[in-house]
Amino acid sequence: MREEDKRYFQRLESELDEAFDVAERAKERGADPDSEVEIPVAKDMADRVENILGIDGVAERVRELEGQMSREEAALELAKDFAEGRVGDYETKAGKVEGAVRTAVALLTEGVVAAPIEGIDRVEILENDDGTEFINVYYAGPIRSAGGTAQALSVLVADYTRALVGIEQYNARTDEIERYAEEIGLYDKETGLQYTPKAKEAKFIAKHLPIMLDGEATGDEEVSGFRDLERVDTNSARGGMCLVLAEGIALKAPKIQRYTRNLDEIDWPWLQDLIDGNYADDEGDTAGDGTEDGDDDAKADADADENDGGAADGEDGDSDDGTGGPPRADPSTKFLRDLIAGRPVFSHPSAEGGFRLRYGRARNHGFATGGIHPATMHLVDDFLATGTQIKTERPGKAHGIIPVDSIDGPTVKLANGDVRRIDDPEEALEIRNGVEKILDTGEYLVNYGEFVENNHPLAPASYVYEWWIQDMDDAGADAQALEDDPRIDQEFPDAETALEWALEYDAPLHPQYTYLWHDISVEAFCDLADAVSGGWIENESSSNDADDNDGTLVLEYSDATRDALETIIIEHRQRPDENRIEIDDWRPFVRTVGCEPRRAVTDGAALESDRDTDAGADPDADEQTGEQTERRESAPTIELERTWTDDDLSERARMWGHETDGDNAIEAVNEVAPFTVRERAPTRVGNRMGRPEKSERRDLSPPVHTLFPIGEAGGAQRNVADAAKHAETMQDTPGVVEVQIGRQRCPDCETETFKNRCPDCNSRTTPDYRCPDCDSRIEPDEAGRVECDHCEREATCVENREIDVHEEYRNALESVGERENAFEILKGVKGLSSATKIPEPIEKGVLRAKHDVSSFKDGTVRYDMTDLPVTSVRAAELDIDVGQLQALGYEEDIHGDPLTHEDQLVELKVQDIVLSDGAAEHMMQTADFIDDLLEQYYGLEPYYEIDDRQELVGELVFGMAPHTSAATVGRVIGFTSAAVGYAHPYFHAAKRRNCDGDEDCVMLLMDGLLNFSTSFLPDQRGGKMDAPLVMSSRIDPSEIDDEAHNMDIASQYPREFYLATLEQADPESVDIQIGEDTLGTDGEYAGFEHTHDTTDIAMGPDLSAYKTLGSMMDKMDAQLELSRKLEAVDETDVAERVIEYHFLPDLIGNLRAFARQETRCLDCGEKFRRMPLTGDCRECGGRVNLTVHKGSVNKYMQTAIQVADEYDCRPYTKQRLEVLEKSLESIFENDKNKQSGIEDFM
Amino acid sequence: MPLEGPARIVSELTSRGYNAEREAVTKLASADNPEATLERLVDDLPETALVVRTDHVEAALSAADSSAKPPAGGQEPPSQPDSEDPSVSTGESATHSSAVEGGDPVETKGETTADRSVDPELRSLEITGDMTGESTGTGEYSDFVSVFRDRLERLGSKLRGRVNHRPATAIQNMPGGSEAGMVGLVNDIRSTASGHWLIELEDATGTFPWLVMKDREYADLVAELLCDEVLAMEGTLADDSGIAFVDSMYFPDVPRTHEPSTADRHVQAALISDVHVGSQEFMHDAWNRFADWLHTEQAQHVEYLLIAGDMVEGVGIYPDQDEELDIVDIYDQYEVFNEYLKQVPGDIEIVMIPGNHDAVRLAEPQPGFDEDLREIMSAHDPQIVSNPSTVTLEGVSVLMYHGVSLDEVIAELPEEKASYDDPHKAMFQLLKKRHVAPQFGGHTRLAPEEKDHLIMEEVPDIFHTGHVHKLGFGKYHDVLAINSGCWQAQTDFQKSVNIDPDAGYAPIVDLDTLDVTVQKFS
Repeated sequence: MREEDKRYFQRLESELDEAFDVAERAKERGADPDSEVEIPVAKDMADRVENILGIDGVAERVRELEGQMSREEAALELAKDFAEGRVGDYETKAGKVEGAVRTAVALLTEGVVAAPIEGIDRVEILENDDGTEFINVYYAGPIRSAGGTAQALSVLVADYTRALVGIEQYNARTDEIERYAEEIGLYDKETGLQYTPKAKEAKFIAKHLPIMLDGEATGDEEVSGFRDLERVDTNSARGGMCLVLAEGIALKAPKIQRYTRNLDEIDWPWLQDLIDGNYADDEGDTAGDGTEDGDDDAKADADADENDGGAADGEDGDSDDGTGGPPRADPSTKFLRDLIAGRPVFSHPSAEGGFRLRYGRARNHGFATGGIHPATMHLVDDFLATGTQIKTERPGKAHGIIPVDSIDGPTVKLANGDVRRIDDPEEALEIRNGVEKILDTGEYLVNYGEFVENNHPLAPASYVYEWWIQDMDDAGADAQALEDDPRIDQEFPDAETALEWALEYDAPLHPQYTYLWHDISVEAFCDLADAVSGGWIENESSSNDADDNDGTLVLEYSDATRDALETIIIEHRQRPDENRIEIDDWRPFVRTVGCEPRRAVTDGAALESDRDTDAGADPDADEQTGEQTERRESAPTIELERTWTDDDLSERARMWGHETDGDNAIEAVNEVAPFTVRERAPTRVGNRMGRPEKSERRDLSPPVHTLFPIGEAGGAQRNVADAAKHAETMQDTPGVVEVQIGRQRCPDCETETFKNRCPDCNSRTTPDYRCPDCDSRIEPDEAGRVECDHCEREATCVENREIDVHEEYRNALESVGERENAFEILKGVKGLSSATKIPEPIEKGVLRAKHDVSSFKDGTVRYDMTDLPVTSVRAAELDIDVGQLQALGYEEDIHGDPLTHEDQLVELKVQDIVLSDGAAEHMMQTADFIDDLLEQYYGLEPYYEIDDRQELVGELVFGMAPHTSAATVGRVIGFTSAAVGYAHPYFHAAKRRNCDGDEDCVMLLMDGLLNFSTSFLPDQRGGKMDAPLVMSSRIDPSEIDDEAHNMDIASQYPREFYLATLEQADPESVDIQIGEDTLGTDGEYAGFEHTHDTTDIAMGPDLSAYKTLGSMMDKMDAQLELSRKLEAVDETDVAERVIEYHFLPDLIGNLRAFARQETRCLDCGEKFRRMPLTGDCRECGGRVNLTVHKGSVNKYMQTAIQVADEYDCRPYTKQRLEVLEKSLESIFENDKNKQSGIEDFM
Repeated sequence: MPLEGPARIVSELTSRGYNAEREAVTKLASADNPEATLERLVDDLPETALVVRTDHVEAALSAADSSAKPPAGGQEPPSQPDSEDPSVSTGESATHSSAVEGGDPVETKGETTADRSVDPELRSLEITGDMTGESTGTGEYSDFVSVFRDRLERLGSKLRGRVNHRPATAIQNMPGGSEAGMVGLVNDIRSTASGHWLIELEDATGTFPWLVMKDREYADLVAELLCDEVLAMEGTLADDSGIAFVDSMYFPDVPRTHEPSTADRHVQAALISDVHVGSQEFMHDAWNRFADWLHTEQAQHVEYLLIAGDMVEGVGIYPDQDEELDIVDIYDQYEVFNEYLKQVPGDIEIVMIPGNHDAVRLAEPQPGFDEDLREIMSAHDPQIVSNPSTVTLEGVSVLMYHGVSLDEVIAELPEEKASYDDPHKAMFQLLKKRHVAPQFGGHTRLAPEEKDHLIMEEVPDIFHTGHVHKLGFGKYHDVLAINSGCWQAQTDFQKSVNIDPDAGYAPIVDLDTLDVTVQKFS
């Protein structure tokens, strides 16, 4: 590790220590459930594993093993330790296996996710039919978060430990085997699996598994056959088991095999058959259960078809067959599936006019992100904003959108006939109202690592500056000299220069003057050349040094010419009324279509060739056509001569095409142009909007200020003040409410209370467990179990107790010295869901309410943001100054120059994060709350004292992702107006997030330390997820989600890379440095270079239109409107899909739900499966009503019909709507008294 | 297996060039070893014989083994009064079932057209229970309540005579140890920790829990119960009177004394369903053979054709259905169906109800087709009525119901009581409950109307359903239950759920005897 990295971490950790001291002092004084901070610090993965599991000695052993072997091998080694009793304090064999399995899963998930504690319920020993014992592992839903490999290895470890402790293998009964197969089919149908083994495969696995996989029921649907089995205690699908068998064993068989081979104790020879697919013979057609076979076969076939579609991407770029064609990645329509109303399609699969694939990594690029020009974001009616998720055609499934303005912007046609490329977001906003058609959505920047991560063959690259400059270099030009020449903008040269370069060097024409020739047919190209030769130049300045004025090419207006120009997206002006089309910067264009400009005079005599003739002039093109000259002024002018005829084109050029012969003019261009022209945009990436970006405070619903139970007394709002006045009847004392609450006892004076401190003597109390049968007092044993030996029942401390909410509320207000008018409302909870039902002191709620922050289920205050990566930042864009950066330890910019001004780029340190404006605001409120809490409740000095948000810079926070149980410490470095949380990609990966629209939360460090308690966590499956059971104080790049290691960190992709993309090569075959290459070296924390800069990490709209538009109808109207504007989108298809995937399912589903609905009491909320015959609520006599009404059933009916009509949907779709409409009428209208609409009277 | 044996025998015989008498086939089918007997029979047949007669079979049987069982021949007593499970004992054996190979091409064409020109005066066709145009519900909560109240009222009236019934609230107030009876809708069925069953009955006053002990005789019946069916219970209140122990349990049921009506003359009705025109799997050829056969002399007594739903494959019934449709336009589907209907002799009376693939609402009761569709299917002037409806043909009442609830009955009940292989057994359950779709909230959808149109107020003589694409028939308390097969070959979906449809069969009922003959056209 480099010295500066060491300093960085030491600094973070010392700040953390300081905060810890404050928190510990506070905790000692307060009445929290625990007198110590409840989030242990883990310095490394070993620590996290031990903390999450709560098994002593694991960390030490893990550290020992880590240097010597892989993590998987370490898991097996630890299993041996468990079996032999060296680690863990388990007496039973089942316990040993359980410990080993949990540890293995924890180890393989880096101790971050909740799977080891939540995903494995227990391990038990059952009996085989022959009387021998076997192991049953009981999985639960959260095992999902472990991922396939860890799931599969958990089975292997269970088997290994089983063998070591001497338990026999599991012999599945036939009905159990059949049950597995049926259940997996059911689970797939209900919930969906990434990979669904065929019935035969599932049976094969089930038959051979040496341990039994079991689990909790996770769904409502039940299997139809193989019910009520003796050893399977549910008829529903067991989700955890299904995941382990299907996505674990079946999918990861080759990975497991690697380890079984090395183990003597266990032998899974059947894995080879599974991998080879040799399970057909083995399975005698057992029992009459072909049902699932057929099902799965059919599905598998369908899957296979899809895969073919996907996997064939690029494999058959059919350049080899017959007449030939360009390399192309195959279109895939998968991303369009399940299109939702209001979330627009930006480009149909590989459609012309859609996003052009450009390779590169911008500084705010990472894994699962895509760069779009901010002008495009505005022009798609603001539907795209920083952080908006899109579903994409390739290379992966989804991307988080980031603004990059160093790529091509969109090309639009304006109402006045101008066709312009828009490279400036401001300009985009100015012209937005005049946009008639978006001819091209601009470039789409995807980094190389994305292709590695998704194992997607490289798709042919667009011809871009980065490639061209290397082509120039290759052609012998001094690229370095070019780049260094201050007089030349080599990225955006003027037409003259570009043409000079093309003619002088054997390098292709500059990308900025390379048009999309591949999108027009050879025929259209010939016609265009004709049109050009019939054109003339106007306003040319006569002086010879007129670089600034080269005149304008004027063509006669025709539909064909216009279409061709629009397709190749050259900037021009259409003036149909004047019968002309004007093109500036026309020389490269004219030369590309094989025309020669020649200077001419009115009388038709040839003058000398104009000044461009030096290199590429065509010697025999000296004739003059007289016909155009008649229209000319008398001044000398330029004639355009077409130097070739249609017949000059080779057969190959004429037939060149991708979908049909001759649909691609690029070869023709290369035959007639005096220089090489590369395909400008061979790969278009289709995409549509997924989720909108997010930056919102996390409130429970309804929001909670304090985790204090008040039952129904607070009304629907759970208002504590109301509860304090509530009385059921006139006889009751107001404010006395009966709730379920934990009983505590004072060890000193034996007082019984529900508080954590004795109201009499102020000592800390402990939970008072009693046996529900004999009422004897039970002390928890070492493992924390409380069982009455006498009655063999679990003891509990929960009791129904009357609480005087009024008194508690008043006392709390008084103790923190607040008046009731300090806040609007203080909300409690109806009841507590934790095991011990320990309430939170109301005082904390009072202060939360005062500062308008609310609590999550674990007592912390959270703010959610979409994750986005960034590796280098500028002080200017973070709203901080250089001084602040320097104070945080940033000394030089990315070039190694000293930091002096706000525009310098500095490389972001791994645990530094950028807050959205909203998050900063919320953090300040939280900081105020914490300060008040420390002062008014704990009686200490305030900690934050923040008046200005700049003071937040440098403060520590927790980053914490859903489904995980470990928080990662981060440090605030600045702010952004984008509604996202920017941080180093490794920071996100440490939380096990990628950036394809994932979101997670931040909390203020001191809030987590003071207010989090495991005692508040719900006592149910998944309750421990999304809670900071442990924190990582520093990120070890080797211990993060390895997805991030595939991120490329080079400053340039080599020319070989671009050429390889044309071959659609395997991404791994190209050498570009990725994060993985630096792991374990001194450079692992630094040197994340990028290929593209962007002016600001927040550009384009701050919020997606999806969030700013009001109703679903507004969103859908905007979506359809946009689809009409976008060249790359087929609006009829969009309408069809919206109807098919959104309206129809909604209508059909609601109609079905209507006819089978539950009913609910409006007064007490009691639900009834069927309408009670009494009519009224059987519980309270209140009014009962439907849960699905006419209004919710037919809300989309008219809209759907209208859309189908307006966008000319298929008759099939229209008829489906018609049939549904009739059904609705039939159900909701009285045949004898048809409702008359207003139209009846018109 | 009511069908498989005879059908196999017939096809075996025809493959060797013989026709067979119905009786003969029945006898063969009930022989100990039909295959061997058949072999022997064929060997012994006189060379001139073209038709296998009963005496040939008898000869073959007696020749083989003098101790061979006497042929069953359908002579069993109609039903055994004290049988606990009547559905099994009656069933196929009481029915004169046989299958005759139809569609011999020589006979079918034109010239031998049967003369069906009976006196129209002899025919009679009456519809009851058609709710087309009578849908008054507007989807309000009160509509739902009315339906269920009506159900309790009308089906309950059939039970109130059998128990000394008290309202739920009255029972709640009775002292422990009292005897009580109650009529109500099944509200909930739960098993207790100790394996007993707790059944909550609900009436217009409230609910009361009834405990069926696991070792009592009624425990078996619990497996047959569906939510929301009407039931009567009698029993003793527990000491704390919060619960009652069930001593007896009554279903509305078909009275054992039920005697079916029959027609006064020999006249037949063909009962079919699930034509699925428009599907790629629709069996044109089988349908053509069927239509041809109706023109033959063999079919001269068939004067009625009943179609129990799913005329066409429909649109949007399942995702991506358009990819499997032969005819994508729903109106074209009905046009083509109408063409197929035209092939049916004009002098046959047709009655049809919609099914779940048809272009009407899915929620039951389903009204008959709307005017547009009637217009399209007008060629044959069929009677189009709601699902369900009862049509009375010359005194014989046929309850026609498409059969969506059968899926649920089969899913919920144990296999021996209801399965896809014996769809008629599932129908027996519905007859017993006197309701075509009792359970609310599951697969079957309910459109709330003022009255419960799904009740079997009167006991039908014949109960005709389709939907499950399996052929099966049998008698329950002398009510003939027929589930007709279909005219659609196995679809990919059916393949995936392992349903092998009985496609291309037409069960023909003799209305004067209620005997069934199955004609095969596939």
